Amino acid sequence: MSQSQPFPFPREYFFPPFFTRQTNLTTHHAQLTKWSSLILSYCRHHRIFKLPLTPPDVTTTTTTTTPSATTTTAASTSSAVGDDLFYNRKINRRLSLSDTREVIDFLRKDGRAEYVSGNDKEGGGDVVWIYWRTPEEWASLVEAWVDETAQKGSVLTLYELTEGEGTRGTEFHGMDPELLQKALSVLVKRGKAQIFGQEDSQGVKFF
Amino acid sequence: MFLKQIDLTTALRPSYLPDEDLLFVQDNVGLYEGKYKLPNQQNGQVYLTSHRVCYVDKAEPRKHSVALDLKDVERYEFYAGFLKSSAKITLIPKATKRSSLQSRSSGVALGNGASSPATRTDSPVRAPPVEPPPASTATWVCTICSFSNPVPSNFDPSTASAHTPLPPCLACGIKPTLAQILKAAISNATSRQPGPALYTPLPVRPRPASEFGAAQINTPGSSPSTPARGANSSPRTSDPDASFQCPRCTFLNHPSLLSCEICGAPLISHDLPPEFSQQARTQTDSPGPFLSTPLSATAPGLDSPESVKVSFRGGGEKIFYERLKGCMTQRKWLLHGAPPIPRSSRSDSLGGNGTGPGTDSSNGSPAERVKVAGIAGLERRGQAMRKNNELVIGSAFEDLEALMASAKDIVALAERFARQVQPGGAGGSASETALLAESASQLGLITTKDIVGTSGGGDSLYLSELARNLAEFLTDDRRGVLKRAGGIMSLVDLWAVFNRARGGVELVSPADFEKAANLWEKLGLPVRLRTFKSGVKVVQGRDRTDDTTIKALLAWLKDLHEFPPDREVTWDWHEFGRGVTARDVAERFGWSIGVAEEELEMAEEKGVLCREEGIEGLRFWENFIDTGEGKSMPNPAKESHEKIMRALKDGGFL
Repeated sequence: MSQSQPFPFPREYFFPPFFTRQTNLTTHHAQLTKWSSLILSYCRHHRIFKLPLTPPDVTTTTTTTTPSATTTTAASTSSAVGDDLFYNRKINRRLSLSDTREVIDFLRKDGRAEYVSGNDKEGGGDVVWIYWRTPEEWASLVEAWVDETAQKGSVLTLYELTEGEGTRGTEFHGMDPELLQKALSVLVKRGKAQIFGQEDSQGVKFF
Repeated sequence: MFLKQIDLTTALRPSYLPDEDLLFVQDNVGLYEGKYKLPNQQNGQVYLTSHRVCYVDKAEPRKHSVALDLKDVERYEFYAGFLKSSAKITLIPKATKRSSLQSRSSGVALGNGASSPATRTDSPVRAPPVEPPPASTATWVCTICSFSNPVPSNFDPSTASAHTPLPPCLACGIKPTLAQILKAAISNATSRQPGPALYTPLPVRPRPASEFGAAQINTPGSSPSTPARGANSSPRTSDPDASFQCPRCTFLNHPSLLSCEICGAPLISHDLPPEFSQQARTQTDSPGPFLSTPLSATAPGLDSPESVKVSFRGGGEKIFYERLKGCMTQRKWLLHGAPPIPRSSRSDSLGGNGTGPGTDSSNGSPAERVKVAGIAGLERRGQAMRKNNELVIGSAFEDLEALMASAKDIVALAERFARQVQPGGAGGSASETALLAESASQLGLITTKDIVGTSGGGDSLYLSELARNLAEFLTDDRRGVLKRAGGIMSLVDLWAVFNRARGGVELVSPADFEKAANLWEKLGLPVRLRTFKSGVKVVQGRDRTDDTTIKALLAWLKDLHEFPPDREVTWDWHEFGRGVTARDVAERFGWSIGVAEEELEMAEEKGVLCREEGIEGLRFWENFIDTGEGKSMPNPAKESHEKIMRALKDGGFL
């Protein structure tokens, strides 16, 4: 469903200098801001929670030099999604990995991204969480849903929350389970929920 | 007026006449006219050239700069300064026709002669019979009949020769000798040193200067003729009684007589020049400190109302005086317009040496064209040429004065030698060397360290003169140094060009050069030094600012939205235009690539352009990244922080 329509890229995406790190500080800041908003809206559009930074297959991208390869088909697989984001086939420009990391660092300062490996140092992993909703926001969404559906005090499995029939139509349906755990742990900290159970069959009780 | 307004160059230096040489510059000087300070000319620089003394005002150079021609200077005096009064050099003008008509007392001139080196030598010669009366024209006394004839008005002692036609005696018709007339004319000229009595019919008996000044102010305004004449008395006799001493025969005439009763010599004229009375009035506005403290050393000079004094408040008067002396001796202005000394044949034969025998035969002087044919003739010609060269060089180095005089020949000779040494200089370099040689000769007026005075500030005057020199060099339309470089050139390039234009002599050290360039801003010159972010220093016209550069760049980039790029591009060029490299910009604006890079980076720094690094190199684009909305975009973290702060404030916690 998410791939039903192509992501409307902003105007800058087709502006070649957008893919070069700007040296002017003001311009650079504007560039970072635009890139982060692009990443966030792109991930929201495609419901991407974990974004791989390195191009999945360098050989394939270099061979497909023709801009005729449509972006929509390239974005059909989740691995190619990030590729589409940082690489504009049409104008044959790519944001380099170091520049990408800079954008991610910019996002991390805003609390909108986090390296999956948890290593915050430079080059701390190739996959990042993109928080187009922060765990806190997810937590409040879940809490609101529990509140709405009057399930306080009842026990739900995590699987039920993301894949179950009951959550269909909510934003967190189909959510990455790891991210859900992060969100729920926020609720646990607030004392609104309790997580228990084994690794693969965890349950949560809302208070 | 003795002082004239002058034109200034773009660098606020006096623009020179052809053949004029700059001899000396001194700053921190003031001007006096007579003994009064000129209110508008009290702080400036004085330029001594071979033809003129120019004063350039510091505060209002375009308005208050004046000059006086050395050819109008009768003599000059030096006053070394005393206690608080600074050293001065007085320049006394040659009397005009008018004033010489009025001059009636040669006695004053004799008195002046004691302090002036120029006249002292002449004064003993003036025996009364030969001594012509200082009338409108000089007179010579016929040796046969003793009739005093006027010297013809067109007779110029400096140009007269044995061939000058001389009129015979009006009474007996005997022709005089040239020496006689010459003597008469010269002694007439020297006796025309006007004391104040020559202009103002005032008694010249010794009086306190203040009183004298007051009298001077009062009398001319009213009715100048009778009271003045009545007051006048011979300075020698100091006789208060109203009678005129004939300057020629010393007979005391009645004051109302116009010519001597005995010898018929014309006596003083009635009226005063109107400008003088005016002058006296304006001068009262700024009486100098000398009014109350008359100093005997300069007193005679002071008395002359038209004389101009240069007051050296920052030193340098000694050198100025020395150079002025040399320049008055050389009298270069006489050379101007004078027929060239038979130098042409020599230079032509020299030219023939370089270019070929064709030109030689046609232009050679008849003396050289003795009919000698064949190899012997060629050899003889070569020999003559060598001899000539030897002569020129030999005579030039005889002494320094002579070298100065024949410097032009030597330069021409050296240039010719250089051209011979250089084999052809094919193609582009030939035009370049020609241009350099040309500019070298055009750069005749260069500032060297020895022509500027040493005031307390050490090199500062030299540097400021160098800065002006440079500014002139840059803005000179004939050379168009700056224009050719697209209005901007790096300081290093300029240094090289400038030193090459100097022809290998009096080179400027890089340190001095940079210091001079830094002075442009301060001196208000039309060029400026700009330092780019990378430290590269460039020179450009002052009207070219970053803003105008950016505007030009942007206008060009906007054009690129309209015109399709040379080849197919993948982006929407209607919307974004295209990126330009430093090379494109250099080509487009005629800059050097280094300058183009710097300008582009400057524009990028201002946020007007942005960069794209690709396989094709660095390209610059219009900035579509930072279009302004980035700033309005709320920073959520900051906003929430502000929200909390506001809530805390509202809640009274803060």
